[in-house]
Amino acid sequence: MKFKLFLMVFVLVVTQSLFGLETKIKGEFWNRYTLKMEGMDVKNSYFSLERGYFTLEPKFNDNLKGRFTLNFFSAVNKDFKDGAGLKLKYAYLDFVKLLPQLNTNLSFGLIKHYFGTIYDWNYTTIEKALEDREKIASSTDYGISLNGILPKGYGEYQLSILNGEGYKKSLTDVNIFPEYCVNVRLIPFPGITIGGSYLYENKAIHPDSTAKIRSAYAGVGRIKFGILDFWAEYLQGTYIDSVSSGYMFMPVFSIGNISKIDMEIVLRYDFWNPDKEAENDAFKKLTAGFNWNILRDESFKPVVFLQVNGERTFYDDTTKKATDVVTVQLRWIISNTIK
Amino acid sequence: MRFLKFLMFSLMVLSSISLYGKETKIVMTGSTTVLPIAQRIAEVYMSMYPDVVISVRGGGSGVGITALLEGRTDIATSSRKIKDEEIKTGREKGIFIKEIEIAKDGIVIIVNKNNPVSNITIDELKKIYTGEITNWNKLGGPNQPIVVISRDLSSGTFEVFKEIVLKNAKMSENCLMLASNNAVSSTVSTTPWAIGYVGLGYITEDVKPLTLNNVIPSEKTVRDGTYKLSRSLYFYLNGEPKGEIKKFIEFTLSETGQKLVKESGFIPLK
Repeated sequence: MKFKLFLMVFVLVVTQSLFGLETKIKGEFWNRYTLKMEGMDVKNSYFSLERGYFTLEPKFNDNLKGRFTLNFFSAVNKDFKDGAGLKLKYAYLDFVKLLPQLNTNLSFGLIKHYFGTIYDWNYTTIEKALEDREKIASSTDYGISLNGILPKGYGEYQLSILNGEGYKKSLTDVNIFPEYCVNVRLIPFPGITIGGSYLYENKAIHPDSTAKIRSAYAGVGRIKFGILDFWAEYLQGTYIDSVSSGYMFMPVFSIGNISKIDMEIVLRYDFWNPDKEAENDAFKKLTAGFNWNILRDESFKPVVFLQVNGERTFYDDTTKKATDVVTVQLRWIISNTIK
Repeated sequence: MRFLKFLMFSLMVLSSISLYGKETKIVMTGSTTVLPIAQRIAEVYMSMYPDVVISVRGGGSGVGITALLEGRTDIATSSRKIKDEEIKTGREKGIFIKEIEIAKDGIVIIVNKNNPVSNITIDELKKIYTGEITNWNKLGGPNQPIVVISRDLSSGTFEVFKEIVLKNAKMSENCLMLASNNAVSSTVSTTPWAIGYVGLGYITEDVKPLTLNNVIPSEKTVRDGTYKLSRSLYFYLNGEPKGEIKKFIEFTLSETGQKLVKESGFIPLK
């Protein structure tokens, strides 16, 4: 029933969006095979549609744009009995060029969460961004955000006020205190990006309740030089007295521009300590793989590509065996603009 | 460790293979307005240097700039200035955007040859393209509906027209959006009550150019700024030009290159 209701809303939005000046319709699908192993024991082996995004981007005029995205996916739990799940991913209006000299936009609705690497994480590895995987920050949330680009492309900044629950658990933990989030990225020289984000929220239900402070910060660095694109992130999250922290390094070698093979070779190393007070709960992940761009569109953006990743997790707890996950994913994108 | 060694070795081999023969190939992608200039200069350059292969592609200014940001073209051709957001994306990817102005151009309002109207104002144009004026009799012409033709959204010509004429107002939904200057010119020539706009280099005998605010679109009026619908045309590169690309840019800006700009129907820099 929920599914049908969402479909009706979707069709309604499609129809409505056609009244805009132009509407971009986009679909992105992730067909995945996953093999999970613990030592030599196979724990899981399955095919799935991990994500199926349908996006509408109506442009009412140069100063007003919108984005609406639904995520359809293969469901593996009892909440979705029809074999497919559905989530609302984006639903916002962008008031563009609010302060034209400062390249400032205002986004309102279910918007991007401008924190760490999560808002521009392009899934170069099949695995999620560190803050997403460790549930420090969700990729989207309900709220309002002032976004700007520094003159001559020297960087960007965002100031956001959000619910703080994220899009997956929206309205489950609403209180009177919003989340405040600030993000800055600077590009002092072409190819060198540094940035940082900070978020703060009191999750107490009532002003008189004991404060339950949730906060997090992230430091981000990126070096792009020749075929190397190197990403690094340090992340720390605090909820009341519990502190978790970790970091990620990800070198990506784009060999497409120097060879006939349009491919990226990806390596990634993650370290995560879920609770600094606890012992033996930290783990490390090592990922290696490649992204093969099978087809690009007329703007040379990849529209069909194959991702293959092998990931091994090592635990500090010596009683736990290392686990391996092999994922093979075919991502394909369709888009068209109705004028 | 063995894997890393193998990876580095593979990358070195692939680099060596790809470097062989690469110096003599130049790829240009982007604006359909700049296309005739790029094609003409490339043809002459290749005849002078037979070992150089220049591939020239259209698609629109936006496509050219995206191709440059994706590392898929050596030169992006554009009939609009690059945006701050595009520069930011470039800087993130280690691309230092170098802008080179190569010519000037006027956007000319054209109508069918049999249309008696010969002048239009920017305000009237805005009203036509936003759907406020729909009949030629409001402009001193016959009682005939106006067929409004525009360039498509990926076009730099459209971006400049939108900025100067529409001033970012919403364009009428009845506008026919076409993918090239040639398509606009050809449709206007065969549609009695049509109006469209094209780059100066696309004026043919089959269409009638209008004066804008009583100013004739010409090299002189574009250069001295009295013709308001004018713009610069650009090459965008990743960093300072080097090697064959530097030679090609120098040739484009040379007296011979600028003569070819003029032959293509556009306005040379000097």
